[in-house]
Amino acid sequence: MTSGREPLLAVDEIQGNVLVGFNKDHQHLLAVNLRDLAAGRRWLARLLPSVSTMRQVFEFNQSFSAERRRLAADPPDMAATWLNIALSHGAIARLASPAEADRLPDRSFVAGLGADRAVFLGDPSGPTGDPTSAWVVGGTGRAPDVFLIVAADRPADLEAAVAAVRPGPGDEPGAPVVVWEERGATLSNRPGHEHFGWKDGVSQPGVRGRVGRNRFLTPRTAPSTGGAVEFAEPGRPLIWPGNFVLGYPYTSPDDGSPQPAPRLARAWFRNGSFLVFRRLNQNVAAFTAFLHEQAGHLARTTGFAGLTAEHLGSLLVGRWPSGAPISRSPATDNPALGADRVASNDVLFGVDTPVTPDGFPPGLEGALGPICPRAAHIVKVNPRDLATNVGPDANTLTHRILRRGIPFGPPLLDPLGGDDGVERGLHFLCYQASIEDQFEFLQQNWANSTGGPVAGGHDLLIGQTDDRRRSIELPSLVAGQQGGTVTAPTQWVTPTGGGYFFAPSLSALRRLST
Amino acid sequence: MKLNTFDAPGRNGDFAARPALAQQWSDLMSGYFDEAVDRIARQLPAGARPQFYNPVGHGSTAPDVGGAAGVITWNGFPRRFLATGPGQPPRYAQAEPTPKSGQARPQDEYLEWFVTRKGGKIRSVTFTCEGWDYYDFLGDNAPDLLLGLYQRFVSPAVVLGDLMRNGRYDRLNRWNTRDGLMHLTERANNLGAEVTLAADATLRRRDAAGVEVTSAVPLTRCAQFGDPARNSDPAIGAAVNALARQGRMITLADPVGLYIDRLDDSGFRLPDGSRPTGWFKQERGVPGLMLRARFEPPAGSAFTVSDVRIGGVPIRFGGQIAQHVTMKLTGVASVATSAAAAPVPCVGAAIQPLVAPLAPAGSMPTRGGNP
Repeated sequence: MTSGREPLLAVDEIQGNVLVGFNKDHQHLLAVNLRDLAAGRRWLARLLPSVSTMRQVFEFNQSFSAERRRLAADPPDMAATWLNIALSHGAIARLASPAEADRLPDRSFVAGLGADRAVFLGDPSGPTGDPTSAWVVGGTGRAPDVFLIVAADRPADLEAAVAAVRPGPGDEPGAPVVVWEERGATLSNRPGHEHFGWKDGVSQPGVRGRVGRNRFLTPRTAPSTGGAVEFAEPGRPLIWPGNFVLGYPYTSPDDGSPQPAPRLARAWFRNGSFLVFRRLNQNVAAFTAFLHEQAGHLARTTGFAGLTAEHLGSLLVGRWPSGAPISRSPATDNPALGADRVASNDVLFGVDTPVTPDGFPPGLEGALGPICPRAAHIVKVNPRDLATNVGPDANTLTHRILRRGIPFGPPLLDPLGGDDGVERGLHFLCYQASIEDQFEFLQQNWANSTGGPVAGGHDLLIGQTDDRRRSIELPSLVAGQQGGTVTAPTQWVTPTGGGYFFAPSLSALRRLST
Repeated sequence: MKLNTFDAPGRNGDFAARPALAQQWSDLMSGYFDEAVDRIARQLPAGARPQFYNPVGHGSTAPDVGGAAGVITWNGFPRRFLATGPGQPPRYAQAEPTPKSGQARPQDEYLEWFVTRKGGKIRSVTFTCEGWDYYDFLGDNAPDLLLGLYQRFVSPAVVLGDLMRNGRYDRLNRWNTRDGLMHLTERANNLGAEVTLAADATLRRRDAAGVEVTSAVPLTRCAQFGDPARNSDPAIGAAVNALARQGRMITLADPVGLYIDRLDDSGFRLPDGSRPTGWFKQERGVPGLMLRARFEPPAGSAFTVSDVRIGGVPIRFGGQIAQHVTMKLTGVASVATSAAAAPVPCVGAAIQPLVAPLAPAGSMPTRGGNP
């Protein structure tokens, strides 16, 4: 199948956050439980006209980007408010039937994010043995039925939209009830960054498929190679939509070629996608203190002379705070590189990043590597051109996820001053065609492991082990010197909520709500 | 690295009282290395030095790099039985068909396993990563030692006649197939293949257009080492080739072998919520060089292997455990020595390019927009 025959995506069926992404500065999450089934259906039916389609979000984002290019600034008068809905296995069992819910093609979704899967993900067990027992949302026997994502450019618009969707006094007795809700927002002091201070969301898969007769979902600026794996732009390979949405051709793990869409047990599964939500608390003060302590220690060794806390943190991430990849800027941050959306994502780990017209230094991983630690976060979750513990490099494409997360909680303005006792972290959200093969694989097989995707230690940011101790091997900063190992005594990222959901198509939502 | 002799795989101690046998084994391994070096030397231009070397007798004087530089890891469950598409379950049953005498197991990631069932429940799962050529060697040179190993690790009921056929060791004998497991059986699962693969991977390769091939699958096909459909071979080949491109001298760590690195049982739980701590026991090889292991409940346990749940899913096949086994081999790479030879052509003419003629070969999952 060539690019010219990329499937036409059902833009009026697929929910807007799945393949396009809301990309708003303000986002509100609501977990809702259905009580009386008929009342629940009527509430869902009431929301249906407000559910944002892929077409609506795509067209708005296109117009917004065009205006931003024209004005060289965010267009002040353009704003939108979006809503997407996802359902738990339990909710689908009630709204459709238990048998239909069980036929959805993902074992992890069917099992749900209770103790079993949380243990599998390595979540801290605590005294009860159930890692989810203290979660503020979700967990064993407490999976919310409905998960709403409401997003807006303006806080006031968000307030109004949340009020409109919330089941409340206007609804009948037995109406659904909100069991948890929380506001997320981009950080006021560092938009686009997560609480530890590093730019987030730099690398997203390019999804193949057309949104119209001659329009690709993902614009192409890289020349076509005509090969099995092509690129939307340097550093951004194209992945077939079946890896993210049910009912489309997917990417072969052997060579990246398109494979026919798997047959679905029910037609209404088509155009749906699995959603993972994880509420991840970040202990910024402890992480910062760790970086300072360890950097001070390492800086006294010959291979790491002059190492700063920021540099050490960047080695753990694989990027500098600006987003500039360590591989292309080994010694210091390069804010201009970090600000360049394409160049900051144009990096390879197995070979040199060839000289490109972007004007930034190439990466020399091939000639001099490793420069970026093999267990740095960005290698762990996206090994790019590396062959891994599960085979050839093309296989890395099939584990990619579409991330839609946003921070929650206020920034910690003085991380060296200690913890302020206020919760903060990330509302991690991602879409995929298989939770087991994608999100869970990344966490369990790579982030938590010392042997995957390649040997070199744990992902110190999100990796989890039984005893919380994790370590990473760092290549020396000085050519010819021995590298070092950094061991973390604890985790700084702790799951405090979550769930596995299915974001059905618009027509499926209609079907389930009647 | 320089060595006087190669030790037995896993420093298993088999040759403790038999220095002559130990020397014979070392000579056999050394022969593997010499053959592999000759093989790549023949493909290099006259005067070019192979970057792979035999550490016994020859050795390299360049200092070696430490850490994980030469550690290559892969998953022990055969990739060809994994799902090819999202959400499709692995084909566990096909990965472990009912064992039959004379039939090799289809497990081709240098890890094979044997499931013992009783009353419909799995009682134990035994894993091995010992190459069959080591046992061929014992069959030819120390049949008493061979028999002793079978009696110790498989069954006291084994007699030598069970292991031999027409005067030679029969590696697909009943005690290593239908009735048990002593070592690897799959055709590709041998130490000679490991040495050859590592050596071949030190050759830089170029395609017909002269472009250096670096991606795992094109490289595996170009050099014709191993099987690109496995977890192991592309990972080993690509990692070794990357070291070679940096101008390093490369060999395999002694004792040469493919080892079980670890079982990640962090997601395993018993029905009472406890961990199956101590269920996975190393049976052969010194610590860090695991050749054989068994997963089974301790004596007196109320549970069986079938009661263990992985992420909530009960164990019904040994492959479910194998999916959580990490394998490893350890190479030794010197500091960069500017020894990198120029790329040589692909082997043979029948290389199927993974990309269309317009695309730069070897560029598969790398990046776009590159010349």
